[in-house]
Amino acid sequence: QESVSAVVIDGYPDRALWVKEFSNFFIPQMDSRLEAAGNYKINWQENYGGSIVKPKGVLEGVQLGLGDIGIVTTIFHSSKLPSQGISGSTPFVSSDARAVAKAVDEIAREYPAMQNEFAAQNQVYLATGVVLDTYQVFCSQPVASVADLEGRKIAGAGLNLRYLEGIKDAAGVRGGLTDFYNMLQTGLADCAMLWPEAAVTFKIAEVGPYMLQADLGAVNSKTVTVNADYWAKLPDEVKATLQDVAIEYRDHLAGIAMDRAAAAHAAYTEAGGTIVEVSADDRAAWAGAMPNIAAEWAETLNGNGEQGTEMLAAYLGKLEAAGFVGVRDWTAE
Amino acid sequence: MLTSAIAGLSRVANTFAIAANALGTLVVLALVVVLNVDVIARGVFSAPIKGTYEMVQFSVVLIVFLQLADVVRVDRLTRSDGFLNLLHDRRPRLTANLRRIINALSAIFMGLVAYITFPEFLHMWDTQDYFGVPGLFTLPWWPVKLVISVGTALSCLIFVLKVITAQDRPQLIRAPEHDEPSK
Amino acid sequence: MSPIEIGLISVIAIVFLIYAGVYIPIALGMVSFVSIWLMRDNFTLALNLLKIAVGDSAMEYSFATIPLFTFMGLIVSKAGLGRDIYEVMTMRFRKVKGGIGMATVGANAVFAAVTGSSIASASVFTKVSVPQMLAQDYNPRFAVGVVAGSSVLGMIIPPSAMLIIYSFVSEQSVGDMFLAGVIPGIMLAIAYVGAIWFMGRYTPNFVGGRVVQDTEWMSGREIASKTLPTLGLITIVLGGIYTGWLTAVEAGATGALVALIIAAFRKSMSARSFWEALLETGHITAAILFLITAASIYSRMLGLAGLPNQLQDILAGNAASFWTVMLVYVLLMLFLGTLLDTASIILIVVPLFLPLVEALDLSLIWFGIITVVGAEIGLLTPPLGISCFVIKSTINDDRISLKDVFMGALPFAFVMLIVLFILIAFPVLSLALI
Ligand code: NA
Ligand code: NA
Repeated sequence: QESVSAVVIDGYPDRALWVKEFSNFFIPQMDSRLEAAGNYKINWQENYGGSIVKPKGVLEGVQLGLGDIGIVTTIFHSSKLPSQGISGSTPFVSSDARAVAKAVDEIAREYPAMQNEFAAQNQVYLATGVVLDTYQVFCSQPVASVADLEGRKIAGAGLNLRYLEGIKDAAGVRGGLTDFYNMLQTGLADCAMLWPEAAVTFKIAEVGPYMLQADLGAVNSKTVTVNADYWAKLPDEVKATLQDVAIEYRDHLAGIAMDRAAAAHAAYTEAGGTIVEVSADDRAAWAGAMPNIAAEWAETLNGNGEQGTEMLAAYLGKLEAAGFVGVRDWTAE
Repeated sequence: MLTSAIAGLSRVANTFAIAANALGTLVVLALVVVLNVDVIARGVFSAPIKGTYEMVQFSVVLIVFLQLADVVRVDRLTRSDGFLNLLHDRRPRLTANLRRIINALSAIFMGLVAYITFPEFLHMWDTQDYFGVPGLFTLPWWPVKLVISVGTALSCLIFVLKVITAQDRPQLIRAPEHDEPSK
Repeated sequence: MSPIEIGLISVIAIVFLIYAGVYIPIALGMVSFVSIWLMRDNFTLALNLLKIAVGDSAMEYSFATIPLFTFMGLIVSKAGLGRDIYEVMTMRFRKVKGGIGMATVGANAVFAAVTGSSIASASVFTKVSVPQMLAQDYNPRFAVGVVAGSSVLGMIIPPSAMLIIYSFVSEQSVGDMFLAGVIPGIMLAIAYVGAIWFMGRYTPNFVGGRVVQDTEWMSGREIASKTLPTLGLITIVLGGIYTGWLTAVEAGATGALVALIIAAFRKSMSARSFWEALLETGHITAAILFLITAASIYSRMLGLAGLPNQLQDILAGNAASFWTVMLVYVLLMLFLGTLLDTASIILIVVPLFLPLVEALDLSLIWFGIITVVGAEIGLLTPPLGISCFVIKSTINDDRISLKDVFMGALPFAFVMLIVLFILIAFPVLSLALI
């Protein structure tokens, strides 16, 4: 039996869902398969929670070889990893983490864009992770429909602030997950966009008891990658096992995200929250009033010499095949 | 000849350090202004400035590396020189040489940082990588990388000049700025 | 070599270099660089760690609190708010034995709520309080000791650069750390007042002083004009953070603006001193954040060596008791406190102990308060005690030697130590407000 060492890095602490599942699912799966084959054994060194890199530093950490394997939070890197914005740029399509994870991952394998972007950062793409089912809008005051969001201050982070461009006079307020409770409580924001599981974790029902079920959609935010120099030296058997387990990790993680999401709805109402359904017309109207950020996304990729337009169509086609049709056709125009 | 060349180089390096320091000082002022405008715009007009968060993050790095060379120049980098001060009274020559070694070590460190960050600047310049969310607010990365690299390079140069000139005087504490005006 | 050995040797090397007078960030950075190079036999990897740490360690939103609160503190000092509070306080305490000492503590506690640094407190109160005490025949050692002891309140009562630094290393919210500092800070101030009463009663010679009969009462209007600006500033800064209306960063910016307005109103600031305050802010910010950057190189080196994992494994293997860990921790801080400044102590010990504290499932906020109070004892202990140095250099009086300052501060360092153990034993004191 030959020994191989592997340093795994993430800037998030080990209590984060995807980190915990990396320790409790990915690594044991690798170990048991390699042990069954009997040729190799991996000595793991896990460094999470800022002990080597901060959350934003994982991409560079893997690039520079400070970690052999990393869980990159791709939403921090719109500039270096533009293609990773694929699901964030196509809201109102699917709130199923499993379907989105699978579709994004297949796009990564069928089109070179995502792998090229990681290759430019000296790393090899392994798999996509989706850890949330869908963004919803949580408000401190009663809301009956999307129209009630007009003129409000709505907190969000990153790309989802752009969804607000579809709502008249809504002002986006930037904030992180840990800030939303405070922002709603003090009136710094009237509403906040986050996903139900996080809403339960951060006790949002206490300050934002009205959840507008807008089903903005699941978003891919994590990618497992391997340093390219390290990859080149790995035995083929280990490479193949990593690739197989990565796909299982992708589905495992998305499955847990969905289980938690289902439980979160119940926990939210139990904690005093009210869930307000949004009509299909309202969702279509919101989506229709937005700029076509999906087209902007495809345009950016086309400009980089990638097949942006084709990727967009293929991605939405995969989701449609899985039974998810958006309220707006992002490929039109 | 050599001495006057070094004196000239010292003057140039110090001038650059002071200029960078003034620039960094203006960044501090800008930080106060931007944040207050944002607080008021958000609280009173419900219209927060886009990109405050990104601007604040950027400004912190700019302040540090624009000021660094001047901090080195006036010898206010954090240190504990109680031992050196004690030694100075008994063995002034030895102490001066120790200070030279310390400054040389510091020059090496600053030089290493400048050396690894400069290619980063060139790369960011080529790729025009940005920071932030496209469509909302973005800032190019290269100015930050440039400031880090130039700031550490200038600090390296000043340390090298300190090694050559051995001008480094021991002081108990450097805190004249906390004075209240005497009435 | 095992990670533990590398970690240990690097710590010893760092301490040695620092004591020899090497700049602290350079010592941290160079030792970490060489450690990785040797450990992995990979020069490029060592360079890469420098690159990533320098690039992203300073790039942190909450770090903007450091220049902002520093700037606010400098403006507030120049505007004379410390003196005003002191004058109001002495009026109230004049007739008690050691009364001016108590007033100095009280004024320091209030002033601490608008300044982030102990250096500012020490220099302001050396000027306003020591001459008064000497004029009333107080023992010079006691006079300077009170100022030294109470100056540490500046960095325990929020806002505080040290709480900010800790919140960065441990990834806690700055706002939470600030709130956690309120009760321990007030408690320490009360303990000081109690200690002064006790010394006045049982060691009157150490205190000295005579009771003053000719009390001049200020008019209500005068009291208001001397206290309201400071109280207003405290309300805006701490109130803004407590209600959640302002982030700690925004509170710093708003506080700085309000301090500027106050200074302008009192015409106590020239364009030149305004510019000097800005320059000074830049210097302090750069020095602190460069130190933080270097400390982050060091803690990443420990991570790369696998030290945190090893420590956790060892701890899981043989359950070290809570008090053993805390006792070792306090002793280490006291030792480093002989020569290092507070920020350096925090940045060196926290990465070493954080994994232990997490494994013991202790509150990281409480641990931060313990760390800041413990590290600040070093401000008062020889041979390098920054607060004592500042007092000595500000007082500029040959009759009071540096030794007098240290001797005078010693009882207060002892009170701090007692308070520290109370804080360790009762975490609720740190956590009640959060
Ligand atoms: Na303070
Ligand atoms: Na000390």
